Amino acid sequence: MRPLLACAALLVAGASLLPAQAMRSYTTSRPARAGDPALLRTTLDFGAGRVVLRAGATDQLYRMQLRYDAERFAPIHAYEPAVGALHLGLEQQGRGGIRVTSRAQLEQVARFEFAPHVPLELTANLGASEATLDLGDLSIAALMVRSGATRGIVDFSRPTRGECRGATFAVGATELSVMHLANAGCAELRVEGGVGRAILDFSGTWRRSPTLSVALAMGTLTLRVPRGTGVRIRGDKVLTSIAGEGLARAGDVWSTADFATATRTVDVELKTSVAGVELDWID
Amino acid sequence: MRAADRTCRTAILVVALALLGARPVHAASGAAVEELALRIRSVLPVPLFGVPLAPQAVAQADPDGPTIDPGELDNPAALERDLRAALGRPRSATRLTVTDGIARLGRYSIGSEEVHRGHVVVLEGNADIHGRLEGNLVALDGDILVHPGAVITGDVLTIGGHVRNLGGTIEGATQEMDATPLSTEATAPLGTVVATRAAGLLGVMFTLIVVGFGLVTFGRPNLEIVSDTVTSSFGRSFLVGVLGQVLLLPTFGALVVGLVLTVAGALLVPFAVVVFALLAIVAALGGTIAVAHAMGETITRRRMAHGVMLSPNAYRYVLTGLSGLGSVWLAWVAFGWVPFAGGVAFGIATLASWVAVSAGFGAALLSRGGIREEFSGRMLPTAMMTDEYLWATPQFGVPAVKRPPKPDATDQR
Repeated sequence: MRPLLACAALLVAGASLLPAQAMRSYTTSRPARAGDPALLRTTLDFGAGRVVLRAGATDQLYRMQLRYDAERFAPIHAYEPAVGALHLGLEQQGRGGIRVTSRAQLEQVARFEFAPHVPLELTANLGASEATLDLGDLSIAALMVRSGATRGIVDFSRPTRGECRGATFAVGATELSVMHLANAGCAELRVEGGVGRAILDFSGTWRRSPTLSVALAMGTLTLRVPRGTGVRIRGDKVLTSIAGEGLARAGDVWSTADFATATRTVDVELKTSVAGVELDWID
Repeated sequence: MRAADRTCRTAILVVALALLGARPVHAASGAAVEELALRIRSVLPVPLFGVPLAPQAVAQADPDGPTIDPGELDNPAALERDLRAALGRPRSATRLTVTDGIARLGRYSIGSEEVHRGHVVVLEGNADIHGRLEGNLVALDGDILVHPGAVITGDVLTIGGHVRNLGGTIEGATQEMDATPLSTEATAPLGTVVATRAAGLLGVMFTLIVVGFGLVTFGRPNLEIVSDTVTSSFGRSFLVGVLGQVLLLPTFGALVVGLVLTVAGALLVPFAVVVFALLAIVAALGGTIAVAHAMGETITRRRMAHGVMLSPNAYRYVLTGLSGLGSVWLAWVAFGWVPFAGGVAFGIATLASWVAVSAGFGAALLSRGGIREEFSGRMLPTAMMTDEYLWATPQFGVPAVKRPPKPDATDQR
């Protein structure tokens, strides 16, 4: 009986030391003005929770809505108009520990909106967030998405504005789907990964034939390409399996027969260790 | 009647116009509606919204005292911590140095012709901006109201409030952070939490005991009939109680609608509302005390059966029963702070109390407030009125008078 009582007392005492849950909400926005910087270098940090990003109203330069665990995180909002730097999101606080509550109660949520007409150099550090980034209609000059341990969707649902120099997707142990990449019109695409899975969907309005650089350790890359697009996969690879209808191998190069003549092409350069590349055609 | 109605409408219109001042109202404008709501709130009696802090300037702190820089609003959480730490007790003792700005306690405003240069920090009050503010504005536990024509050249931040742009211009960023969610209870020491809850429970029990003793003193027959109804028809009482709770609001609605539809009845609506509410409260409260009475009677009689010498009276029954009802909350008082287990204890206590209240409410309804004895087990059912019963039990006349008295409890033993 005594050991039981002692265990109960320990449990009770231990539970009392747990931090109380404290969800807070925070909203910030800034109106768009004539003197806004020509390029907004934006960094988003959001380690855990659910993230939604999309184009907002034209009269607001940006808007961020957060619901966050105040015991562990604090909101970040830093804007330097002189250099056009913007930092939004959450930063981790010192306190940690086990949370005795349901996931729904502690789910952090972030919603970001940006003015469609302002060119963005966007770096999104999503950590273990479940992200849905709808970049359609935004002016994406450059994009960097780092995804950690959960699923993420980057969707160019509508054609973007302006010129996109490049987009980099760094995948951890997660699945990242990039949809309607043709709408992005990026000149260079780069996928870096550990043991995750990346899906690149090239549907949409074709604006430019991109070059794709893939550096995977043990991941899987799926390319979904509209039928009629010329595809070439080449590069330095170790234990890589490449599979796709219509791909013909010539040495270390796999390509479709019409690659040289096709008006739309996807040129893939592989740097992989143990990885798989699949090619799916979209009709 | 029509004349009175017209007078009433006119009065409402006059009041609305007075609230709005001379400004035109655009019904579709959200800002106008918001402004109207704010004005209505501002003319309502103060006790409805708490006593506001008297507007006053905050003196600068000592060189080593609290200092904040509203020029950098990048970390609102840290700013909130600093501001709350700076708040003095009493509030007039607050000292705070604001870099390139001022701090105010209570309501603050900038008139339409005024220009303020520098940052402003408003503590525990609203900031009404009609004019021009050249700097950042921070409000702790208050709203920021940017009225039409107002201009704020910097950023605005509210912590525990809202930014309401009623038609002005905010050139910088707008930030809103809700109030710190940690309750006083969560931050208080454990002993204080338990003591506070125990005091609350004692207070409620004391109130119920006083009401119960009053009922015993002034309405004992009715209380006993309701109590007997609970004892002999508990299931029926509980079901009727639950049904009564479900039908309470529809019945109230039907009553009000029925009265409004009749010309004379419309005048009685206020009285009917009060009487209905009172009846419902009396039925629930009296029923609960009747449940306690029934519980106390059962407990007392069981103890007496075990040889404990007690005085069986209604006061003891009520006291014993209410103690029993209160005891289900003891686990929550003692362990309510424990994650999960505290919630379970609270849930069990709430459920037990609800069952008791429902059964009492139902018994009060069944017995028509302690008038009807049909379900109290006091009346013999017709089926028991047999010839044998009537023959063996003289009811009238000399045989009845000569019937030997029942042996008392001592003889039975």
